[in-house]
Amino acid sequence: MALLTWILTNFWTLLLFLLVLLIGLRIAWRLRKYGATREEFSYILRRSPFYFVVLIFCFFAVSPFLIMFLHTFKADGDLYRRPQPFIFRQEPTIEHLDALFNNTAYLDFIRNSIVVGVAVVLITLVLSLPAAYALARLTGRWGERAGILMFLVYLLPPTLLFIPMFRIVVLLGLKDSPMSLIVVYPTFTVPFSMWLLQGFFKAVPPELEEAALVDGYNRVEAFLRVVLPLSLPGIISTVVFTFTLTLHEFIYGLVFIADTRQRTLSVGVPTELILGDVYFWQPLLAAALIIAIPVGLAYNLFLDSLVQGFTMGAVKG
Amino acid sequence: MANLALPAFPLDNRRFVGLLFLAPALIYILLLVGFPFLLAIAFGFSDVTVGNTDLSFVGLRNFEAVWENDIFRQVFETTIRFTLISQVFILLFANILAIIFTQEFTGKWFARFIFILPWATPVSLAMIGWLWMLDTKYSPIDYLLLQTGFLGPGGLLSKDRNLFWLASPDLAQISVIFVQVWRMTPLATVILMAGLSSIPTDILDQAEVDGSRFMRTLLQIKLPLILPIMVIALLFSMITMFGDMTVVYVLTRGGPVDYTRVLGLYSFQVGIEGGNLAQGAAISLFAFPLLLAMAIFMLRTASRAEVR
Amino acid sequence: MSLVQISSLKKYFDTVHAVDGVDLEIEQGEFLVILGPSGCGKTTLMRMIAGLEKPTAGQISIGGADVTALPPRKRGVSMVFQSYALYPHMNVFNNIAFPLRAQRREKKYNKRSIREKVETTAGLLEIDMLLDRRPRQLSGGQRQRVAIARAMVTQPAVLLLDEPLSNLDAKLRANARDELKDFQRSSNITAVFVTHDQIEAMGLGDRIVVMSEGKIQQIGTPQQIYDDPANEFVATFLGSPSMNMLSSNHFKFGFRPEHFLPKTLNDNPENARIFHYYVKRVEYLGSDRLVYGYVQGRESELTLAKVPSNVRVSLDVESDYEFAVHNSDLKFFDARSGLRIAEQNLAEAL
Repeated sequence: MALLTWILTNFWTLLLFLLVLLIGLRIAWRLRKYGATREEFSYILRRSPFYFVVLIFCFFAVSPFLIMFLHTFKADGDLYRRPQPFIFRQEPTIEHLDALFNNTAYLDFIRNSIVVGVAVVLITLVLSLPAAYALARLTGRWGERAGILMFLVYLLPPTLLFIPMFRIVVLLGLKDSPMSLIVVYPTFTVPFSMWLLQGFFKAVPPELEEAALVDGYNRVEAFLRVVLPLSLPGIISTVVFTFTLTLHEFIYGLVFIADTRQRTLSVGVPTELILGDVYFWQPLLAAALIIAIPVGLAYNLFLDSLVQGFTMGAVKG
Repeated sequence: MANLALPAFPLDNRRFVGLLFLAPALIYILLLVGFPFLLAIAFGFSDVTVGNTDLSFVGLRNFEAVWENDIFRQVFETTIRFTLISQVFILLFANILAIIFTQEFTGKWFARFIFILPWATPVSLAMIGWLWMLDTKYSPIDYLLLQTGFLGPGGLLSKDRNLFWLASPDLAQISVIFVQVWRMTPLATVILMAGLSSIPTDILDQAEVDGSRFMRTLLQIKLPLILPIMVIALLFSMITMFGDMTVVYVLTRGGPVDYTRVLGLYSFQVGIEGGNLAQGAAISLFAFPLLLAMAIFMLRTASRAEVR
Repeated sequence: MSLVQISSLKKYFDTVHAVDGVDLEIEQGEFLVILGPSGCGKTTLMRMIAGLEKPTAGQISIGGADVTALPPRKRGVSMVFQSYALYPHMNVFNNIAFPLRAQRREKKYNKRSIREKVETTAGLLEIDMLLDRRPRQLSGGQRQRVAIARAMVTQPAVLLLDEPLSNLDAKLRANARDELKDFQRSSNITAVFVTHDQIEAMGLGDRIVVMSEGKIQQIGTPQQIYDDPANEFVATFLGSPSMNMLSSNHFKFGFRPEHFLPKTLNDNPENARIFHYYVKRVEYLGSDRLVYGYVQGRESELTLAKVPSNVRVSLDVESDYEFAVHNSDLKFFDARSGLRIAEQNLAEAL
């Protein structure tokens, strides 16, 4: 806690110090490796505008998150009286984090989101794994057409469908239950992951399946025993992106579920943590940041794989 | 006519297994998207409300009512304007960033993480951050401007201590567009990165040996080669944005007055909050022809890219 | 002085020594072939000459000037890639004009001189009727010519070719080889040609550089390389089927299958070495018979003979024969280092 206080009160100094330190270390390392020649200095000089551009873009991207981070720990008095958003004039506090987890439905939102996400991922895999394989290998022109149709479906925005979907959800008696989302979310996750998986399946050399066919497996077994294990990294990244799609979804979640305790994160946080005109800013910002960081890390980890799947799926179509 | 009898070795038959594999997904989607879509059309032609659930046919009345509604026209125009303006910036930034992130540099992993955050964060949660950033009274942006003398007594931008980002018509529109660019640039960048990294290295080496420098290689080799993918990225983010209501729902609820009301939000407000399902459906159906045209154009571009 | 001078050139990728100390001189107007198995560092060497790869150590100079630190465009080299790397979105004219336009400021080209140069070069390579076509409308052979035209149009000091014939089918390849050689000779350009195909290398090269494991194994004319290999690697890498290699106590000796003939055919038996040869199997290849068998006492080492078909000696399977090799056709190598050693004294030791 003392460390956190120290970090927070000296946040900007630390940030600047860290940045300068890292740049300094990098330059020192280069000079040590290539020698402190004039060419080396001019290289560093020529390269610096590039890093400057990167820094500017990074700053734009990250600024709301920095503010979220700082405000999570601000005491009420510090937040509202004579605004000074960047530094702490009162002792930082974790009471808002405490309140977020203990006095609000935040944990329920997280639980609902995980339940919905996991269920939807499972349904999506069961439906899209075989379908993507069929599109990648088994079907000819008609399969291609079916694939295009699926893709068009992915492009239909929820704003076009949520009204009749709402009727159907009511008819099925699923209103105010996360089940409604579990049923409806695959309508966009299945086309998305089919499209991605198709790219990964195409990257598996067909000779391997043909060898399996000759070795005595039928097509279904060849798919299960050869293609699936080989595309495992692609499947994992599809799972990650499918899960985050469900985490992002807002409109269906907003329309189908009115009961606070049943809402998911993306809907619950902005609707339930605001009481009329009263915004509980610190918990709100904390709630957003806590989700943003792990999802961002997951994206970054699987980005190369996503790019690869996209390239295979779209370019080599 | 198609042979309906089972083939001799069904699990070895390409067509049969293909059909078997594709069918569940296809049926699920057709059932859960096709049916609601038809229902949306049916709703559009009926007088259904939340209270009154029997569909009675009212012809084009809903569409006429919507079309003659001044608010709708303004909403429609706003949606198109927001979409088009933000695409210009998204494409510009995405190109720059895709070029940056397809190069090797120190700290790339961390820079990429930071820069992906706006896309990775669930939209509604990221908007909470912006809601604070653009707050009428406590906006950190205003604070910075105040400290640097752009705001406050004698300030360049305003004599006031605040700019009232989301309360003034112009600034609210600019804010919404800015936030949309902020959150959608990463996706377009990722798509363009896929395009750039699919250019064969031989071609780029050849350009280097041919004496081409950075700008020439960029303008005459790289950009023309990823043009089809750029069109895909563009249409992808256009369609996403055209159907989005989350940003304005959290930031402005369409205000001030109607200045930032977009189609999706309007349809939600009329259909769900106002209880008039029929008109809500009719409103969102107006978007369909545009979306379809964009999607078809996109697919044609993509399939032309394959030929090369 | 040589046009290109390379001295103690090294390129390490982490722990892999792709090029490990190469010294090489390339003369003006010669056709130099770099030959080696895949992964021997030949392409890396060429990419360093082009400037696409920065050497870990060593020096490259072209025309007397040190170019080690210069980018490709300042070196006066051009390159033809294995894939031809034609710009798919440009027609043939624009493809060929691209290097001219890229260097238009330094070399003071204008629109007219560019058009003239493109047309002249296209004429030389007989592709002037294809100038409006896109690369994907061209056949493999035409693409190759466009790639060469694009490389030649700037009149480079050195033309680098990275296996440019391997994407052509076998029939076209022989023809393209012949044309390439003619074209090089008539334009008197210095060409460096990388390949793993020894027939291409033997047919095209004025000199051949044999590489393996990042090092040069031997430099010489095709005949020197074939008849006078410097070490065991060169001896066994060249020739098809490859040289028979039999081990003795502290050395190995080798002889080529075509020099291993029935004793009765040998006109000079006193200068030849006689082997008792057990014929296991005979393959009839049309012009030759390829014989598989064992030399007596060396049953673990398969030994091949290549007997011309027009020699009417009957060779039955599973029978013993006497075969002979001229002493001058026997090559001796050190068992440990693989290096060639003097023959006379060893021939007697056998």
